[in-house]
This record gives sequence, structure tokens and C-alpha cells, in this order.
Amino acid sequence: MKTFPFIYNGPREFIQSLQPKEWADFFLGELNPRFSVTAIKAKVVSVIDETSDAKTLVLKPNWLWKGFQSGQHVPVTVEIGGRRVTRFFSLSSHPKDKYLHITVKRQKGGLVSNFLNQNIKTGDLLELGEASGEFVLTKDVPNELLFLAGGSGITPIHSILKELQAIKYSGKAKLLYFVRSYDDIILKSSLESIAKDANWLTIHYIFSEIPKEGFSSGFLSKEILDQHVSNLKTSSVYVCGPSPMQTKALSLLEGLPVKSELFLLPGQNQTNVKKEGTVDVFLTLSHKTIQVKGERSILEELEEQGIYPQSGCRMGICHTCVCKKQTGEVTDLSNGEKSQLGEENIQICVSRAESNLELEL
Amino acid sequence: MRTISKKLNNEEIEAFGKEVDALREEVMAKVGKEDADHIRSIYKTYRYTEFLGRGLIHFSFEPISFVAGTLLLSISKIINNMELGHNVLHGQYDWMNDPRFNSRTFEWDIVCNAHQWKFYHNYMHHTYTNVLNKDHDYGYNFTRLTEAQKWKPVHLTQPFTNMFLAMNFQWGIGAHGYRVEYLETPKKLRKKKTLKDYKALFFKKIESQILKDYVLFPALALLNFPKVILGNLIANLIRNLWTYAVIFCGHFTENAESFTTDEIVGETKAQWYLRQLKGSSNLDGNNLFYTMTGHLSHQIEHHMFPDMPAKRYREVAPRLKEICAKYGQHYNTGSFLKQFGSVWKRIIAYSFPDHIATKFMGKRKKFLEPTMVISQPSFQVSLSTEEKTVTLT
Ligand code: FES
Repeated sequence: MKTFPFIYNGPREFIQSLQPKEWADFFLGELNPRFSVTAIKAKVVSVIDETSDAKTLVLKPNWLWKGFQSGQHVPVTVEIGGRRVTRFFSLSSHPKDKYLHITVKRQKGGLVSNFLNQNIKTGDLLELGEASGEFVLTKDVPNELLFLAGGSGITPIHSILKELQAIKYSGKAKLLYFVRSYDDIILKSSLESIAKDANWLTIHYIFSEIPKEGFSSGFLSKEILDQHVSNLKTSSVYVCGPSPMQTKALSLLEGLPVKSELFLLPGQNQTNVKKEGTVDVFLTLSHKTIQVKGERSILEELEEQGIYPQSGCRMGICHTCVCKKQTGEVTDLSNGEKSQLGEENIQICVSRAESNLELEL
Repeated sequence: MRTISKKLNNEEIEAFGKEVDALREEVMAKVGKEDADHIRSIYKTYRYTEFLGRGLIHFSFEPISFVAGTLLLSISKIINNMELGHNVLHGQYDWMNDPRFNSRTFEWDIVCNAHQWKFYHNYMHHTYTNVLNKDHDYGYNFTRLTEAQKWKPVHLTQPFTNMFLAMNFQWGIGAHGYRVEYLETPKKLRKKKTLKDYKALFFKKIESQILKDYVLFPALALLNFPKVILGNLIANLIRNLWTYAVIFCGHFTENAESFTTDEIVGETKAQWYLRQLKGSSNLDGNNLFYTMTGHLSHQIEHHMFPDMPAKRYREVAPRLKEICAKYGQHYNTGSFLKQFGSVWKRIIAYSFPDHIATKFMGKRKKFLEPTMVISQPSFQVSLSTEEKTVTLT
């Protein structure tokens, strides 16, 4: 028997029902929009143009920010047309820097990357989540490091390089940066100043679309690796870039210690499935039945019909979109495996409907 | 049920449905920042009125500030329940992805548990609007509002039970929740235990509401506690009377129709739209009035588009009205006094047996004539000659 008068609610539950945090957030927000007790809100202190289609946002987070390790990423939430949308971006600055940096390159069809590039100006507010990710240096830093970066995949690597600089790295590191053209090199001046300052780093730019004299061109291949990396067999490798490059790298580097971070562009995780007819998805919490094709992720197909479940990374890493599937069968897009028929939690951003579904949404 | 709308044939009904769908799509495409800003400003008003209201009640030493505080608190509760709560719980703002305005996380300042409310309101009431024995909101199980409900002597008391309900409306709403859930469980599964489970949620909510309004805040006022209790009591009462009045005007006016379960078998979307139209009634007023009713002044629009951000009903209404006129469908609207008067006329009339009730209700108007003849061409051939296209229908 619980103590009187808390027969049905515990004292804690009762206090929660008074919404103390919501009240605090509301009044703090009225004082200064950056203040909050629940959300990490960051003010944009400046915007730096990197290339014609990439910008670095310099952010000053509020007191809830707990810091990060070089190479980690952070969920960034912006409001676009009244709707909060979250995407993950790597932090490109060093953890000890005064401000946080994220460097965002426009992606074709990318809602958030384009919005950040086009609309964000000094003084705006973004909401951040906690930093996470395994793409970080190991405790004992290896003596020989190889970094393979593709396009905007340079951002976490840039942060790691700054970390190496900060700990006065004594080994040897090599960076192969695959990028469309000379003008598309992101964070160029910073990379070069690290290289100049330290004798442990060599950088090779490799242009995939517009060659330039004195530089290599092409995509990641065995020849390019052989040409630039003499100590491949003994290096620890960090790979970050779009998924074709990733797949290539993993096959070329089999047997080596490789850490990789995948950058999925919007729509890249869609497999080319064509289906006839539709299946019914019953949303048990909102009592709606929606017909979907089962060609793409459930999340995308629901959004197409104006239903916006919580989502974050949209590539199966953050678990924001997890929901309980009560019945039905889905395919996990990340590995192509079919699920059980019964009750289980699924990530709707990487699940495709195979049969009629009941989801707790 | 008698109707004053023109009887439409199936083709006409489907054509009507198509026009309504097109209207919905057009307006939903516009939903965005404007709607987000609106609900945020409502949220702000709700927070400030509650803060000021409670503050004034607390620190008042003379009647004026006490009255002002109590009024502000009533307004806060009304906004919280209607424009904010009711609409958010319908999922009108789920697309914003903001936990403050999300139907899955929102809980309101009323003894009714939001989750139970969503079941019996969003699902049962909005799907089976005015279908006898299926829509448990129809008469809330003790008010007889049509000949289709059998008269019993107990109905003689319904004017009084309704007055009682009006004053304690939040309790009615709350207790309604677990009962409907219980009634909707298949008979075999109905057990004492399930009823108890359903009740527990309600009791949990009651407890937090009572503790808040009648224990915690009065205690903070120390010896001044009677004043705080009184203020909260009055604020809850005002909110109850207001919500009762608005909600009863939504479906129980003179010309709002009811339906039987047989009528809705195999219903199409267009037929569903039509039933929502016939079963609902609107209130005319100004923008402030609309906001304070949570746009339930636009019950017809709300029933056709329950998940459309409510403020949009203002722009939908005139156009929907036009569509209705075109098809000869009665669009039930009137001033608050007129509609509320007709609700009470009905409550009183049907408290008596049929022969008295029908006399009291009087004769209904004839069918409305459509402003346009809408008959679908049975076939259509287009012949193109050199200069012009001739269409034969
Ligand atoms: S949205 Fe991140 S796991 Fe699905």
C-alpha cells in the first residue's frame, strides 16, 4: 500500500504531472531562447563559407552540452516550415575549441543540408542532441594511420587530425582525400595548416571529376592506394565517405584494422524494390490505416502520406524512430533480412513493409 | 431519422466526396509555419494565463484581484482543454515533431486521461459519429435525443441530470473514458479486472488533478487556503459549463441527425463525409469566440477533417458551405444562443414520450433544393470536328 495521499501516483509521478521541466523551459525560453533545462540549444555565432556548396556553422551551445570526442557526430534539429527535422552531422572542430563546428555540404535533394546552407545565419538557434559514435581514435594511438575521406566525409577526420595535433602525435599519418575538384576541397586551409605545422601528416587530394595538374585523379582503387601508400599492410585505417567508396575501401582493405563511418545520402538506403499492390499499415495509437507500397522504408512511405513519426538519422543508427510492431513482417534494409511475424521493436527508417502491419504509432 | 437535406443518389454522393477531398488536399498542402506559430502562441497564452491566474488568486487581498485571477485561470483551463488539448490530441500538430504538441505525449489539465479520451473520442466518436449504440458520445448514455432511442420514465429527469452534468462536465468526460473502453471490449473478455484496469488510469488522473488544485496550491497559500480552493473550484466550474455548452451544440441541435448501425455498413469515404455533415452543427461568432471554443464552433469542418490544424477551419468553412449548397445539403449553423437553445429544446422534448416529443419538436422544413442540378452524365462522347469539340451527354 502506498502512502496516503499518493495511492495511485507515486510522489515522483505526481510532481512530473505538474510539468516542472516544461514550466522551467517555457520561462527560460522567454528570457533567452538559448536557455533550457531539457534541450541543448546552440546559437550560431558565425557562418564560414568553405566551398561554393559547403558551409561551416560555428555554434555556441548552452550549459547542457556535455562535450564530445573527435570523430563523433551529433543530431542537429532545425525547424523547416514549422516542422522539426533532425539529421546527424559530424563535428569538425576539436573538443577543446571554444565553439563547436559542423561543416555541412549541400546534398542533392537533401532537405536539411540545403536548408542549413541557404537559410542559417548568425544569431539563429539550432537544437543539438548528445554526441555519439565509434569513429574515434583508440586509446593507444597506432603509429601508422591512414585516412580515406570522400567529399564531406572529411569532417570527422578533420576533427581527428586536430586531436592528433593536440596530443603531439609522434607517428605517421596519411590522408587521401577524394573530392570532385580542387574547388570542392572542404576545410582546405585548416588541413594545410595542420600539415604545415606537423611533419607527421601528408595529404593527397585526388580529384574524381575535374583533374588538376600535379594531382592524381580518379576514384579509390588498388592502383591509387599502391601509388600513395607504401605502408598499407601496417596501417590502421579510418574511412569516411559515401557508400560506394565505403564498400570499395572495405574490399580493398580486407584484413586491416578499419574503422568506418558511413555517410548515407538521402534515398541511398532505398533498395530497388518494385511491388504490385499495397499493404495496409494500421497505426494502433492513432487509429489510422494507411496503404503503403512496401518499396521503400516505412518511415518514408508514411511521410509521403503526411504522417511524421519521430525520426533522426534515418539510416538506422540513432533509434529515434523505433516503434513496436505488433504483427506483420518487415525487411531490414540494412542487411536484407526478413523479420519475425510477431511482436518486436523495429526501426521504421530501415524497415520495409512486407505484409500488412500493425505498428504502435 | 428525418432529414432536411436533399436525398442524393450514389453518383452525387461520390461527386460530393470528391469535391470535399479536393478541398482538404488544397488546404492541407498549405499547412506549415503559420500553423506552428499559431499553436505556439496558444501555448504561450495558456502558460501565462495559468501563471498569472494562480499568482493573482494566491496573492489577492481584495475581491478584484481574486476575481481576475479566477477568470484568468478559467481561461487558461479552457485554452488548455480546447484549442490546445483537443486539437493536439487529434494529432493536428504531430507533423511538427515537437513533443509539446504531439498527440502521443500530450496530457491535459482535466480529470480525463488523454489516452482514454483518444480512444473514445478520436476513434469511437469520430468514426461512428451519431451512430446509435456505437457512438457513446451520443447522449452520453442517459440523454434521449431522438425517437430512435426508446423512452423510459427515467428520461423525465434528463433536464436535471444534464444540468448536473454541465456543472461537472470534466468528471463526466473522464468517467466516460473507461466505461467506453470497457463496453468496447468483446463481451467474452469483459471482466471485473479489466474494468478495474481501465478505472485505475482514470483514478490516477483524478488524483493528480485533485492534489494539484485542491491540496498543493492551497497548501502553498498557508492560512489563505480556502481562497485558493474556492478559486480553483470556480475556475473548474466555469470551464465545465463552457465546454459542456460548446460540445453539446456540436451534435445535439435540432437538425443534427442520428444514424443506425445498419445505415453505415459498407459506407464509402464520401458517405462518411456526408454523415459527418448531417450529424454536426456549427456556431457563428468572431475569431476570439472560435479560439475559445477550440474551433469546435466549426464542428462540421472538424468532423470532416479531424486532423487538420483547427484554425484552418475558418478558411474551409465558407467553401464547404458552398459545396453543401450546391448539393442541396443542409449546413447546420447558427448563433451560440440559437444553437444552445435548440439543444435544450431537444433535451426537454425527448424527456417525454414520443407523441409529446414530436409535437414539441414541431414540423421540419422540407427538403432543401440544390442550387445546381448535379447529375452525372451517363455517358460522354467527344467528337472533334475541324473547328470545335462537341460534347454529347
Ligand atoms: S531515424 Fe535513426 S534509427 Fe531510424
